[in-house]
Amino acid sequence: MDSVKRTRIRAAVAGAFFWVILGVLACYGANQLGRGSIAEPGAGFIFFWSGLVLMTLSLIVLADSLRSSEDTIRRIPKINWPKITLVLFSLLLYAFFLERLGFVLTTFVLMSFLLGCIEGRGWFRSLGIASAAALTSYAMFELWLKIRLPKGFFGF
Amino acid sequence: MFESLTSLLYGFNIALQPQNLLYCFIGVTMGTLVGVLPGIGPTATIALLLPATFSLSPISAIIMLSGICYGAMYGGSTTSILLNIPGEASSVVTCFDGYQMARQGRAGAALGISAFGSFIAGTVSIFGLILLAPTLADFALRFGPPEYFALMVMGLTVVAYLARKSVAKALMMAVVGILLGCIGLDPITATPRFTFGMLELADGIGIAPVVMGLFGIAEVLENVGVLTKTEIFAPKIKGIFPNREDWKRSAGPMARGSLLGFFLGLLPGVGAIVPQFLSYALEKKLSRYPERFGNGAIEGVASPEACNNAAVGATFIPLLSLGIPSTAMTAILLGALMIYGLTPGPLLIKNSPDLFWGVIASMYIGNLMLLILNLPLIPLWVRVLKIPYSYLSCFIILFCLIGAYSLNNSTTDIYVAIVFSVIGLLMKKFAFEPAPLVLAFVLGPLLETALRRSLIQSDGSVLIFLQRPISAAFILFSIIVLMVPLFGQIRLGHGLSEED
Repeated sequence: MDSVKRTRIRAAVAGAFFWVILGVLACYGANQLGRGSIAEPGAGFIFFWSGLVLMTLSLIVLADSLRSSEDTIRRIPKINWPKITLVLFSLLLYAFFLERLGFVLTTFVLMSFLLGCIEGRGWFRSLGIASAAALTSYAMFELWLKIRLPKGFFGF
Repeated sequence: MFESLTSLLYGFNIALQPQNLLYCFIGVTMGTLVGVLPGIGPTATIALLLPATFSLSPISAIIMLSGICYGAMYGGSTTSILLNIPGEASSVVTCFDGYQMARQGRAGAALGISAFGSFIAGTVSIFGLILLAPTLADFALRFGPPEYFALMVMGLTVVAYLARKSVAKALMMAVVGILLGCIGLDPITATPRFTFGMLELADGIGIAPVVMGLFGIAEVLENVGVLTKTEIFAPKIKGIFPNREDWKRSAGPMARGSLLGFFLGLLPGVGAIVPQFLSYALEKKLSRYPERFGNGAIEGVASPEACNNAAVGATFIPLLSLGIPSTAMTAILLGALMIYGLTPGPLLIKNSPDLFWGVIASMYIGNLMLLILNLPLIPLWVRVLKIPYSYLSCFIILFCLIGAYSLNNSTTDIYVAIVFSVIGLLMKKFAFEPAPLVLAFVLGPLLETALRRSLIQSDGSVLIFLQRPISAAFILFSIIVLMVPLFGQIRLGHGLSEED
């Protein structure tokens, strides 16, 4: 068996395992909520049956991928996992600081980071665009469209 | 018929009011812009602008949001023809011949036929909407929970059937969508379900952060740090009015595309993408010169462009007459209607005729605006596309974060959007399609309520779905759709991916 096929099988089994676990958790949670009966379905009824269907489908998908020669994993060209992790981390920080520091400051920092560090656009230009983005989006959403954006302790 | 026309005139009276005209204009312009830009689609844009419409009247708001839906179809075709970049997934097919026409110096004719085709198809779908929606709404008054359940099952089955890869995977995504959609308080007993003690989850997971994550941020993450250089081929555009020969060759394909798009768009779950591929395949099959397709055949532009516009118009019929969204885009509109205190469903037309007829009339006006404005604005859209993607991607992320936050003013929604962006990226990696997940996510609570009510009503007999003729017909159709792939490779989506 070549290594590509082995990787494919491993990925298919891991995928099916994930979905089966999710199905089991849904069924377990449904039982905790109370499945009810078919004549009187309870709060967990839909979760229980969805969990069962999910497990069945995941086994069908597993059988399908083991049988088929087609690769089930799409090759995304040049995907940059370290940068994706950095972007996600910066977004989590953004969510955390948004209401504490306010929209304008947090957005400025996020945009500077994305443009300067992730996209490598040069710091001078990145800071300029980030400040313009923070201020114009604040003006557009808060002042013009009247969408309430968090102010933070600076008041903007 | 006469009553409908009188109502339509009343609708024009509403749509032609200055503030409604202004919001219609803003909607179609925004729609064209997001149609031009790859990465942010009409669904995410509607979710982003939804909080901004809270201060407007519901009619003006829905007029603007609908304008984004059909405006995006026009914008997508412009970039497909000039740059070989489909701004929207539903404009992919236009690239095949539209770009070839542009390379042969016929960009003007391609753009012209695309705009006229879209306008004609838009008109067809609006008249279809006028004729069918009230009739369907009257018919739907006979629907009880079993019929609604069966209809939603049919919608989800059709989405799975149209999946470009695996039907089983698409069904899995639909089940996951139902699971996620049902998180929150139980609609019957108000028991918190899978909320893990978080108050923010009591109302369930919001559709806006899910859409922002799956369609907006995930798209950017896929391309993060990848240097993309867009080759812009923007010839001098001349002769935007197609000549007699062009019209002769395009009239039939346009009519067929409009009808095909309209009737397929009526089916819950179909949307505008698949009909476009089908119309292209149909024209190629019917043509006496199929070898011209892919080399700049004007029929290859006219039919798909008419088709996607007609399909978008048709998706409003199940939304407005049954209260059932058939695409992610109409799902957000359904959410908008509920936020404005309206109850989408068979009684909407009777209870809010000003909204229904006003929106329909505005769609006609919006299509006219797009026809007039779209062609002169092409140089502007080309300039927009010259902005490097690295800048655009940062702005798309920012807008998605604002959109996720602004609906409930909650940072939890930003976390939800981030989680769904990771899910979206993994789905892309493992070839799972997001459309069934989003549709099932929206339909999940409705489906659950209909199922439980049906079972309570029948004292636990599942035969209730087969004993009532309308629900039996929907269930039978769903079973047929699911059985088709077992009897050979005649699945539409499968063939479409090969055509793609």
